[in-house]
Amino acid sequence: MSGIRVEGLGKRFGTRVAVEGLSFEVAPGEVFGLLGPNGAGKTTTVRMLTGLLTPTWGDATVAGISSRHGGEDLRRKVGLLTEQPGLYDRLTGKENLLFFIKLNELDEDAAWARALGYLERFGLKGREDEPCGSWSKGMRQKLAIIRTLVHDPEVVIFDEPTSGLDPDSARTVRDCIAELASEKRTIVLCSHNLAEVERLCQRVAVVKGRLLALSAVRDLRRAGHALQIKVAGDAARFLPALAALPFSPKALVEGGLLRVLLSDEEQQPEVLRALIDAGARVYHATRIERPLEEVYLELVRA
Amino acid sequence: MSFRPRRALAVFWKDFLDLRKNRGLLGSMAVIPCVMVLVPTLMVWAYVRNPDDPSLRVMARYYEVSVQSADAARFLIDKSLTDWFGLFLIMPLFIPILISSSSVAGEKERRTLEPLLASPATSLEIVVGKSLAALLPAVLVSFAAFVLFCISVDVVAWKLVRGPLLPNGMWIFGVVVIAPLFAFLGNGVAILISARVGDSRLAQQLSGLVSLPILGMVGSQVAGVLRAGAGYYAIVGAVVLLLDLLLLRATIRLFDRERLISRWS
Repeated sequence: MSGIRVEGLGKRFGTRVAVEGLSFEVAPGEVFGLLGPNGAGKTTTVRMLTGLLTPTWGDATVAGISSRHGGEDLRRKVGLLTEQPGLYDRLTGKENLLFFIKLNELDEDAAWARALGYLERFGLKGREDEPCGSWSKGMRQKLAIIRTLVHDPEVVIFDEPTSGLDPDSARTVRDCIAELASEKRTIVLCSHNLAEVERLCQRVAVVKGRLLALSAVRDLRRAGHALQIKVAGDAARFLPALAALPFSPKALVEGGLLRVLLSDEEQQPEVLRALIDAGARVYHATRIERPLEEVYLELVRA
Repeated sequence: MSFRPRRALAVFWKDFLDLRKNRGLLGSMAVIPCVMVLVPTLMVWAYVRNPDDPSLRVMARYYEVSVQSADAARFLIDKSLTDWFGLFLIMPLFIPILISSSSVAGEKERRTLEPLLASPATSLEIVVGKSLAALLPAVLVSFAAFVLFCISVDVVAWKLVRGPLLPNGMWIFGVVVIAPLFAFLGNGVAILISARVGDSRLAQQLSGLVSLPILGMVGSQVAGVLRAGAGYYAIVGAVVLLLDLLLLRATIRLFDRERLISRWS
């Protein structure tokens, strides 16, 4: 299993550049988040990784196969959960899965046994002989996930896997993704659900036509050195003292605590000195991780 | 591009299964053979019912001045059956249009195209599988309609002819050789158009225009401008074979994975 290696990947449609200059690596066993606003080029990137689109620039090696030349060998090793479940409504759940088992030229008995395991896990066992058109959105999404996994892919790309699922089912899916990673499969997760990304992903790439950030989730959240300070009394009265600092840190009061964003760790003692000079009684100061959402929005809005 | 029959058969299996469950489409498909059998049977019945009607002689002499009064009804029956083959070809042409438009453009409408294209199946395997799923029902329905057509015409005409009129050599050649060629034409046109337009109805409407030359051909036969016969239909078959080969080449070239995915998914 050799993960994903992306080098200078880009795609142009006519005169419009959808995405350019993407470079990153995803190791086997890693859950990697691909984040970005709508139209940022995530889907185009995923399609290049799965060999559905040929890159205009660069290349991606997925499971040891070039996405530029991989064709069917590449598609055999990759499982893609598309944004829409894309099921055949008149066909039953079993027939939908059997179709993809046949397309992958798998041993039907063995593949169906694996599919049955997933059906049981996702609470769909006993419903497989019903037409998918009569199923709820969540059931359809779960069947689409099973379809993605039925050929035992080395690399799995999930586009919004928990979309439309109730909390319990979403948790089952998250557990399943974690388990797939523990089996040393390479997982790419595209999601707007940043809490989910925080829970599942070791590293993320934020894209908006190009790579805005590539980092471990924890490092990304720590970027900007946020400091949470508890002072005696009304914390808001110390905001002017902070604003008067030469580097004018962004500061606000949240739940009676001062929250100060710093661009450099060296600014931390300056902040504390300014507060003490302004008469503050500092009980404690803690370096905190910012919510991923905050960091993400800062990146994509910049 | 590799070709694995097993994957093409998987696409055929899925499309055929989907067709069997699509009652609306099956209903539309059933109407065509009913009309194709019922209308000529009624025409023959009308001639047989009153073979001595003087107006039949007038009609027959419009096409052939040497026709005797006693032979007018038989002449008109033979002519109608020969001309009808032109209209009969609409069935193998149109059924694949109904099926292929729904299956190719339908994949886009149902958002099933991307998972299908992300599977190991190649474009050629997908086209072959989908074509088989459209051609096989068209040919089978045409054969079945032809058998019914022969029986019903023979039963109705027996009173006048005192023997079986059908099947004759022209019809057997036409149904076995020319009808599949027309089915191939309808399927090729529908796949080509479905791959380029967004919805199945538009694909059906545009593909349906391919039947207009047939209507023109039959209209010319009825007007006496063209005279149908075995040789005439053999030439038509040869032209359609040529069109089929051109379409096959164009379909394989234009059923492009990247174009489909970037335009329609």
